[in-house]
Formats: sequence, structure tokens, C-alpha cells
Amino acid sequence: MAKVLVADDSETILLLLQTRLEMEGYEVETANDGQEVMDAMHAAAEGATPDLLLLDAMMPRKSGIEALRELRAEGVETPALIVSAHQDAGDADSATELEVSGYVTKPIDFDQLFSSIKQLTS
Amino acid sequence: MLTGLAVIGVGRFLQQRQDFENATARSYQLEIQARNRLARGAHPEAARAAILTQQHKRQKLRDDISGQTRDTALLVGAGLIAGLTGAALLFSGLIASMRRPLEELVEASGRLAGGDLEARVQVGGLAETAALGTAFNEMAAELQRRAGERDQLETMKDEFVVTASHELRSPLTSVQGFAELLMLERDKLTPRQADTLEIILDNTRHLVRLLNDLLDLARSDAGRLTIKPVPTEVAPLVAEVVRTMRGQTEAAEQVLVEDVAGGLPPLRVDPDRIRQVLLNLLTNAHEYCPERASIRVSAQQIGAEVEVSVKDDGPGIPAGQLEHIFERFTRGDAGLTQRVGGTGLGLAISKSLVELHGGTIGAESVPGEGSTFRITLPTEAAVVPAEAT
Repeated sequence: MAKVLVADDSETILLLLQTRLEMEGYEVETANDGQEVMDAMHAAAEGATPDLLLLDAMMPRKSGIEALRELRAEGVETPALIVSAHQDAGDADSATELEVSGYVTKPIDFDQLFSSIKQLTS
Repeated sequence: MLTGLAVIGVGRFLQQRQDFENATARSYQLEIQARNRLARGAHPEAARAAILTQQHKRQKLRDDISGQTRDTALLVGAGLIAGLTGAALLFSGLIASMRRPLEELVEASGRLAGGDLEARVQVGGLAETAALGTAFNEMAAELQRRAGERDQLETMKDEFVVTASHELRSPLTSVQGFAELLMLERDKLTPRQADTLEIILDNTRHLVRLLNDLLDLARSDAGRLTIKPVPTEVAPLVAEVVRTMRGQTEAAEQVLVEDVAGGLPPLRVDPDRIRQVLLNLLTNAHEYCPERASIRVSAQQIGAEVEVSVKDDGPGIPAGQLEHIFERFTRGDAGLTQRVGGTGLGLAISKSLVELHGGTIGAESVPGEGSTFRITLPTEAAVVPAEAT
């Protein structure tokens, strides 16, 4: 089953995402901020890198957007979904530049989220 | 100075008159003495001559005084005319020096009233108009300062709403998310626990709706409510909204009728936002109408626009409430709102959104018979040529 790297600075939201994703049968790795996302990506062995990134847009230390920008600069092409509290986080410029596959708005519509993830990981 | 001449003239006239009267009185006195001498028979020839002399003298005095009076009157008249002319000249000068600043004041007041808070006048002219100008400028500066403060407060309020709505979203995501998680195991809950959970979820959704509405309104106030108009077909949009509502209306045994005219031109709208407006109108009709009510969504072309209306045969809206219905936090009858889950913001947002599209929104209602909400939306054909020019 596909592996998803989930990053959020809120422990409860991280737990919620992890639980729901695991119930759907995904393998989940978690990170508390963008720096941990970078570390996890760098530490992952060849062929064991996540199939999808689910990143909170705003996190202390390093945001999901910043982490994604650095990863794209390193040539990482893993599809990414950005989670944001904003209703219209869909900023067209960064979507193109950072190859963002989609935006997820809080509170999360899980049916919609799962259908996006299914599409991106199949 | 010329007026002074007139005053001098009048003074001289009065003096001449006094001299004339004194001389006349003296002449009469001399004539009477002469007549007494004549009556006594003393030097009658001399007395008669004296009487004639005095009569002649008075005649001369009278001639003199009328001549003098005429001269003085001429002098006084000339003085007065000269004085008046001078005064008039002085006055027209005065008016001219007042008119410019006053005209400027009128013009600046007009600009200020029209919202140009930069409007000021040049202070000048007479002391009075200068004072008026200074007062006006002080007032305008104060208005501008207060408007600045108000704008700052508005901005702070909008930022606060955006931040608050943002910050509330994370805990709300957790509450809703974990409640949904629990709901996934509904079969393991007692019916009472399931009902309780249902209530938690209902209220969470209501909170989310409220947050979204508040955010939309704050954006609208800050002029940051944006739309992305694209060519949009009416029928599929209406069909989608009706499909979304079908479950709720069927649960209430309400009849939901879709009546879209054929061959409607494509709209020039942001489909997400118009869907939001139509959902709001249909949700209102559904929530305010009793069971078995009928709700009809129609669309037809009117001139260069398309009118979409939502008509119900519910309780209607009293005239007093109808005029405030598009204001925020205005809701229908309090007795009804007990079971109605609205935020009181939906119609205010719908109005902002429709107007942002260049359309109109309106409501009519007959209490006891039902209500009709109409929106008009621009069509692609009507908008494109306008943009091309």
C-alpha cells in the first residue's frame, strides 16, 4: 500500500490524519514541521520514499510550502497536497511553481481527501 | 470723505436757516416799531419808508435763503450721490473680495460631501472669509483624520476576523474529525450515544458554516472577496444545486421543482460562488418552509441577463422584515429560527457575491402565500463585447 508522509504542527490533527489514513490502509509517516519533512525525505532509503506528501501550509520552523520549495529544488518529484486553514489557499502561482497537486481546506472533508490521495497514488 | 461733504452741507443748511429766521424776526421787529411811530404820528414819512425797507429786506432775505437752500441741497445731493457711489464701489469691491473665497468654499464643501477628504480652500480675502476658510480646513482635516482612524479600525476588524477564523479552524478540524471517526464506529454505539454524536457533528458543521460566512463577509468588507468569472451553463449548475438539496427536501417531504428554460445563453460567472448563492437560497426555502411545501427553481432569459428565481409557498416574510432581509444577522421569525440552522449571514453574502458579478438580488413575499427570491446574472454575450471595447 502507498506510503504517505503527513506533516502538521498540531499533534491532534496529526493523530486524526494518521488514524484515518491507516484505517484506509495507507502506511503513514509523521512530521511536526517542514524541517522534519526534509529530514525524513533525506533519511528515506532508495525506493522507500513516500508516495505522497500531505503538508500543512503553516508550520513553525519551516512551513510546508518552504519544505516543498526546497524539495522541488533538490529534484524531488513526489506529489504533494497542501493542507491550509484558508478557504482559498489555492494560490495559482505557487501551485504551478511548486507542482502542488491539490489543496485541502480545514476542516478536512475526508471523502474528498481520500479520493484525491487515491488518484495521486495509483 | 464724500459722505462727509453731505454732512457739512446739511450743517451749513441748518445754519443758514437759523440766520434767515433771526434776520426775518429782527426785520419784523423793526417794522412794528416803525408802525408804532406811524400810529403815534411821529415822522410819518420816515416811518412809512422804514416799513417798506423792512418789507423789502425780508423779501430779499427770502430770495437769498431759497437760493442758498437750493445750493446747499445741490451740495448735499451731490455729496450724497458721491457718497453712495463711493459706498457702492466700496461694496462691490467688498463683495468681489468675498465672492472668490465663498465660491471656493462652496466648491470645496461639495467635494468634501462627495467624499474627497483632501478638499481644502485657500485661506485669504477679508478677515471674515479667511476665518471661514481656516475653520473649513480644520473641519476637513478632522474629518480626514477620523476617516483614517475608522479605516484603520475596519482593517483591524477584518484582520481579526480572518485570524480568528483561521485559528479556530484547527481545533474545529479536530472536533469534527474525531467525531466523524467515532461515527465510523456507529454500530458499536448505543442509539443514545449515536444521537449525541449526531448533535455534536451538526453543531460542528454549523460552526464551520458560521466561520466561512464570517470570513466571506470580512473579505467582502475589505474588498477582498474575489470571483473568477468563466463561461458557465445555467442548467447543469441549477441541476447540481438541486441534486445537493434533494436529500434534505425529500426528508421534509417538500416538492423541489426544477424549471430551467431551454436555450439559455451561458453565464459569465464564478460557478463556485453562484452555486453558493443558489444553495443559500434553496437552503433558506427548505428551512423556513413547513413539510410538504413546494419549492421551485426557475431560470429564464430577461433581456441580456438570465434570471434565476427560487419560489416557495411557505409562510412568507412580513413586509417589515422583508426590507432588512439582506442585512447581516437578520433572520426570519424567531420562533422559526429555533429549528433553522442558518447563520443570519447567508443572504448578506449572497447579495455581496451577486453584486460582485454585476447582477442584482431581490425578494418579494406575501405572508401566508410564500416568497420569491430572484437573482439576475450577466451572460457571456453581454459581458464579452463590453470587455472588448
